[in-house]
Amino acid sequence: MISFKNVNKWFGDLHVLKEINLEVAKGEVVVVCGPSGSGKSTLIRCINRLEPIQKGELVVDNMNVHDNKSNMTKIRAEIGFIFQSFNLYPHMTALGNVTIAPIRVRNIPKEEAEKIGRETLTRVGLGERIDSHPAQLSGGQQQRVAIARGLCMRPKIMLFDEPTSALDPEMINEVLDVMRDLAKEGMTMMVVTHEMGFAREVANRVVFMDEGQIIEVAPPNDFFKNPQTDRGKFFLSSILTH
Amino acid sequence: MWGFYFNELMRSLPFFYKGLWMTVAVSGLSLIAGTIIGFIWGIMRASGSKILRSIIGAWVDLIRGTPFLVQVFIIFFILPSAGIELEAFPAAVIALSNLAACFICEIVAGGILAVPSGQREAATASGLSAYHQLRYIILPQALRTILPPLVGQFVLIVKDSSVVSAIGVVDITRVGWLTVQRIPEGLMVFGLVGILYFVICYPLINFSNFLERRMTVVSTRL
Repeated sequence: MISFKNVNKWFGDLHVLKEINLEVAKGEVVVVCGPSGSGKSTLIRCINRLEPIQKGELVVDNMNVHDNKSNMTKIRAEIGFIFQSFNLYPHMTALGNVTIAPIRVRNIPKEEAEKIGRETLTRVGLGERIDSHPAQLSGGQQQRVAIARGLCMRPKIMLFDEPTSALDPEMINEVLDVMRDLAKEGMTMMVVTHEMGFAREVANRVVFMDEGQIIEVAPPNDFFKNPQTDRGKFFLSSILTH
Repeated sequence: MWGFYFNELMRSLPFFYKGLWMTVAVSGLSLIAGTIIGFIWGIMRASGSKILRSIIGAWVDLIRGTPFLVQVFIIFFILPSAGIELEAFPAAVIALSNLAACFICEIVAGGILAVPSGQREAATASGLSAYHQLRYIILPQALRTILPPLVGQFVLIVKDSSVVSAIGVVDITRVGWLTVQRIPEGLMVFGLVGILYFVICYPLINFSNFLERRMTVVSTRL
């Protein structure tokens, strides 16, 4: 479903992704972790070309993302992206937020889009808040609207960039619960997160990154119990003791 | 004597109304054209290609960095030597539209750039085209920032329109100049000129203040 082949990226002189090779299968849940500045957010932002890559090949759903001939609108429509800071549209209601892309990108009639929107918002537990504006919602509710916004496009892949990092602790679980359900339903997911409990429970594999490189890729139990590299051990000890 | 001049002035009122109408026509047409062009330039300046952005930027700086009177003279007196001859009225409207467009361009570009970058990222990630992003996500949010200073700018343009009297457009200011030669009571004549400008500008000032309050309320609520 997602395939990185020798992917490299630079910000000016800074080499932020180095020779990335990674395959994510359909229905797989991959958690990406690592210290800050390790390139994990950049890694998933390349998948829908929020960031361009300079070298290598990145194929999503048989479409080459960084080929200028590719139809980016079509690729992006298949990928839901969840931001740390939600990025909901403040001038629209929750329903407006989740229906704008289906109506304008997928050309679904408004009534049908709103029906899907209501169902999806209900599914993330916000059936009562469809007419609320983002500023009237808590952080956890806003992030669930953002997830619903992604889901209303009926995407093949969902990408999460630290979805719970901006949330108060008591709101983290309501968002993780929605993500757990998605994973159970077989959604292909890549999740950048520091929630190791979530990784252990839901992920098929954990990707550990440091300084722009993938250091380890392993099933969560293996990685958490028995990291193979010193950097992995050091990272785990530092997050477990904090 | 004062009473005599006052009666004379009252008899000249129809002349002043004509001038008022001319000021409204010149500044009204320029505001419409300047707003449309200013929005187009502003959108290009905020999101167009590098070359386009720097061309517009250079033009805006040039216009903002030269006196409006000089711009009017260039269009009216100097362009004819290049074979482009214009009547005073179209020359005035062109000069004032261009001035308005330059100021409005900066207001619009500023408003667009003030929309947090995350909004554009979220819209891009969902597959919305550049046009749809602008139309449904960016501009509705930018308008909250743009509208109050835009209407404030209208006031400045109405007042700047007095400059076009220098090339013979018979607006309120020109009517003042012509009248004061018959009625040598400057305070009285230009007092009336001032009042007439104020009559146009005051509602605009109030409207701008109203928008400012309303937008603040809306953005705190959202």
